[in-house]
Amino acid sequence: MRFDWRRAAAVARKEWFHIRRDPFTLALALVLPLVMVVVYGVAIDFNIKGVSLAVSDSDASQASRRLVDTFDSSAYFRILPAASPAQAVEDVVAERAKAALIIPPDFEKDLSAGRGARAQLLLDGADNATVAPVSQYAATIQTMASERIAGVDLTPPYTLRTRFLFNPELNSRWFVIPGLTVVIMAILSIFLTAMTVAREWENGSMELLLSTPVEPLEIIAGKAAPYAVLGAVALSFVYLIARLGFGVPFAGHLWVFALGCAIFLLTYLAQGLLISVTTRQQTIAMQLSMLTGMLPSNLLSGFVFPIASMPKFFWFFTMLLPARWFMVIARRTFLEGSSLLQLRVPFAALSASCVVMVALATRSFRRSLE
Amino acid sequence: MSAEPAVEARGLSVRYGDFTAVDRVSFSVARGEIFGFLGANGAGKTTTIRVLCGLLPPTEGAVRVAGRSYADGERAIKEKVGYMSQKFTLYNDLTIGENLDFIASLRKLEPSYYARRRDELMELISFKKGLGEKVGALSGGTKQQVSLAAALLHDPEVVFLDEPTAGVTPAGRDRFWKLIRRVAGSGKTVFVTTHYMDEAEQCGRIALMRSGKLVAMDSPAGLKKSVFPEPVFEFDPLGTLSFAALAAFESHQAFSFFEPYGPRFHAAAAGPEAWARWRPELEKTFRIREIAPSLEDVFIRVVESAA
Repeated sequence: MRFDWRRAAAVARKEWFHIRRDPFTLALALVLPLVMVVVYGVAIDFNIKGVSLAVSDSDASQASRRLVDTFDSSAYFRILPAASPAQAVEDVVAERAKAALIIPPDFEKDLSAGRGARAQLLLDGADNATVAPVSQYAATIQTMASERIAGVDLTPPYTLRTRFLFNPELNSRWFVIPGLTVVIMAILSIFLTAMTVAREWENGSMELLLSTPVEPLEIIAGKAAPYAVLGAVALSFVYLIARLGFGVPFAGHLWVFALGCAIFLLTYLAQGLLISVTTRQQTIAMQLSMLTGMLPSNLLSGFVFPIASMPKFFWFFTMLLPARWFMVIARRTFLEGSSLLQLRVPFAALSASCVVMVALATRSFRRSLE
Repeated sequence: MSAEPAVEARGLSVRYGDFTAVDRVSFSVARGEIFGFLGANGAGKTTTIRVLCGLLPPTEGAVRVAGRSYADGERAIKEKVGYMSQKFTLYNDLTIGENLDFIASLRKLEPSYYARRRDELMELISFKKGLGEKVGALSGGTKQQVSLAAALLHDPEVVFLDEPTAGVTPAGRDRFWKLIRRVAGSGKTVFVTTHYMDEAEQCGRIALMRSGKLVAMDSPAGLKKSVFPEPVFEFDPLGTLSFAALAAFESHQAFSFFEPYGPRFHAAAAGPEAWARWRPELEKTFRIREIAPSLEDVFIRVVESAA
């Protein structure tokens, strides 16, 4: 088979004309990354601060005030005074507060008598997303409050000093935005290519292409090229917003990240093509790209739900997903500065899925033309 | 060289699994001929054309188009033929110029040759608007003319037109056929499928396909003669006919063929004796006059009623 660059370039040029005149494609490629970065970066903040805490202090003693002050000064909680324990509970039920702290009347007396004073912390268990961090904060605050109330330094026999590597402040944006590059690229590449070949079949223009001496591989290369460029542009866009807009650090080598992007993009372009070739209809192609591209890259890549906590089946299943491996590459190059050698496993897995997908797509495309 | 037919098919068959789309078809088309290809939908016309255009290698048999065959390589035939498929195949969101540029680059035409050829073809189709016009903004008839120009861009020896005038206005169809004649006049072979009988009349020869088989092939006049050896009459009803009466006539033993034709009917006599016996009776209901069969009669008898 003879591959002719000029014919492939002609296909690419024609495809570029389509893109330029189709506001939907351009919007999808340029606006979608922007919207997603802003939504995930600004609106969705996985760090919880200023949790409203309804406080009913029936003791009103020095000790109880110290306890409340410790919560108040932590910045994680916002105090909402309640007249009675019932009122505090009512605040949680009515969604005015996320948690309630109830201090009984004999708090200080029990404390000084050495009977072991008790206070109660009520959390809204229906809101799974806040319970875990809030109870964690509360535990830390309890230790601090104990020291303050007792007025002594309760030094334990040993200390466990926790330090967070790579993301010292546990800033969730640092974690989310690199992962977002994966989701955005997955959506763009798979959607756009899935539509492009299906459109040729639907219009009947595939016949026109085939009646000329153009080769299948020239069509594929020509069609993929402009979308690859578009994907790269969108990605640079996300990268710049991440670095400049949100101050996400980039610790690794840009070329390692770029290499990962290129392999991932190629894999998903091929997957889009495969969808396009098999469905030949734009609407079905669209739905299939959602199902096989967008959903897994969102839900099963480790972007939102940690893979380590998935049931065994999914834990193995995600191994087949290029998005899972690219997610590792994106996060580790951004935050940990991992080298290609350190990332050899995800790179090998991603490359393997790329080879398989490209082979499948070209084979099914050739078959469909016969 | 010029004695060789432009298109030749010998024992051509195409099968998809158990389904035989084209069944041992043989014919040849001379250079400069307008060859009409008729048949009901699904008769195998498009499949045959796809084979002849180099898009689909035949399961059996051999084709030779413009001196090339499948044995000469994948692209051999494609380089020599132009193909305009059933659906409109240019890109609506591109301009005429961009569409033509694209096809020219796929066929790797010399830029100077392409520019000259493009102007020539725009003149041929008397296209007055600029090349910057978006294809989507053109009328159906004009689109088809531009499609034809696109198919002729590389100066093919044979051009295949698959239902080129479907959905085009009568005036548009007329203009398109003037073009077809001009193209054939310049020495090109035109291979055309159509469902319009007035268009079929304009072909030098017609081939009729039914269920993948070639069932008749001749000039329009020749076909009429061979398909209707018996005399054909036009029946003009003197009054209104009930459905029951009509049904009785349709299966009447006097006729070997009885089909509605507008408000009238076309009928062929079953035999001279039967015809002589029944004619006086029939003249009570119809005004009868002998006519030459139309191509539509031929089509119905060969392609549809014999099925």
